[in-house]
Amino acid sequence: MMNLAGLIVSLRGSLQRIEMRLLKAAGLDAHWAPALAVNGPGLLPQPDQEQQQSPGLLDSIMWMAAPKSRRTIEVNRTRRRSERKLIKVKNNIEPCPECGHLKQKHVLCGFCYNKVCRETSLIRQQINAMEGGPLRAPTVETVVLYEGEMPKEEDKDKRIVERPRKRPAWFSY
Amino acid sequence: MAAAVTGRGVAFIRGLSAGLYSRLQVLACGHQQLSCLHTSSSLESKNWERKNRKVYPPQLPDEPCRPAEIHHSRRQIKYSKDKMWYLAKMIRGMSIDGAIAQLEFIDKKGAKIIKEVLLEAQEMAVKNHNVEYKSNLYIAESFSGKGMYLKRIRYHGRGMFGIMDKVYCHYFVKLVEGSPPKVEQRTGYDQAKEYVQNLRNRTIIHSL
Repeated sequence: MMNLAGLIVSLRGSLQRIEMRLLKAAGLDAHWAPALAVNGPGLLPQPDQEQQQSPGLLDSIMWMAAPKSRRTIEVNRTRRRSERKLIKVKNNIEPCPECGHLKQKHVLCGFCYNKVCRETSLIRQQINAMEGGPLRAPTVETVVLYEGEMPKEEDKDKRIVERPRKRPAWFSY
Repeated sequence: MAAAVTGRGVAFIRGLSAGLYSRLQVLACGHQQLSCLHTSSSLESKNWERKNRKVYPPQLPDEPCRPAEIHHSRRQIKYSKDKMWYLAKMIRGMSIDGAIAQLEFIDKKGAKIIKEVLLEAQEMAVKNHNVEYKSNLYIAESFSGKGMYLKRIRYHGRGMFGIMDKVYCHYFVKLVEGSPPKVEQRTGYDQAKEYVQNLRNRTIIHSL
């Protein structure tokens, strides 16, 4: 019995060895699958893909203008204090002959303009009180009369707005 | 090993305590030696206003009249010091009437503020500093300084942030009695002539 088992084992081993030798001789025992399975394109990047990278943040830095070196404070001061950046002195300021405040030659005097504005707003308030509501303006002209004044001949068809004060000097009638 | 560790530890503590002691000594001895401690500036000492308090000894009868000087300032103006500088530079050396006239027609926020400061200073001059004519003043010095800034957060994209400064500035002016000094107008030709003359004045030293 033991002889039989031993014989079978030895026979099996020898048969396996003969099989290996036969396969080797034929060249059919080479392992074709790679030892480690990897993703194909990741291992070997194609040459034409290398130049063309997707445009992203890094790529845009390549062609943006950027300062090469820090501007010194002397350079900065020269630019900030150059002649064109300083405020120019005006030579067209003169006193207003009416009120004495200062004005520019080509501009109305601010003080006189303000005083006219104030009187006009009071007249407008009076007119609003007379009309009583929006869109009720009469189709005739308006005349402003101050204390102790009578309407003239040509003003008899016009609407009269009374102001209870003395006529201002700049408002001629 | 424990002894070595404790030895090193003791030396370390000694060094620490020595450093602390010397630091405390330095702090206690006075602010003149340490320039990084702002004990004399910015917070409680207003040097410009203090200049008005300076009293001169009475003048002798044959000395020329010392013109009156008025120092005035305004602190913590909500404006940029760089923008204020342009206005201050413009009115340097002008008579006070001329300066007020110019400032009235400049469309800048600082112009209104400086005009107020000048009018205040003019009033102070007549009331407190014995100036006879309020128009007989000119601006000897005028400049702006940085005030105390507030810091705020400025939100950017992607969760980034920056720290924003809310700028404040001071404005200082010194009025002097008298008419404004005439500044000599130097043309480019004069400057070039002076430059060439300087070159001609050069001599060779240690020569025969």
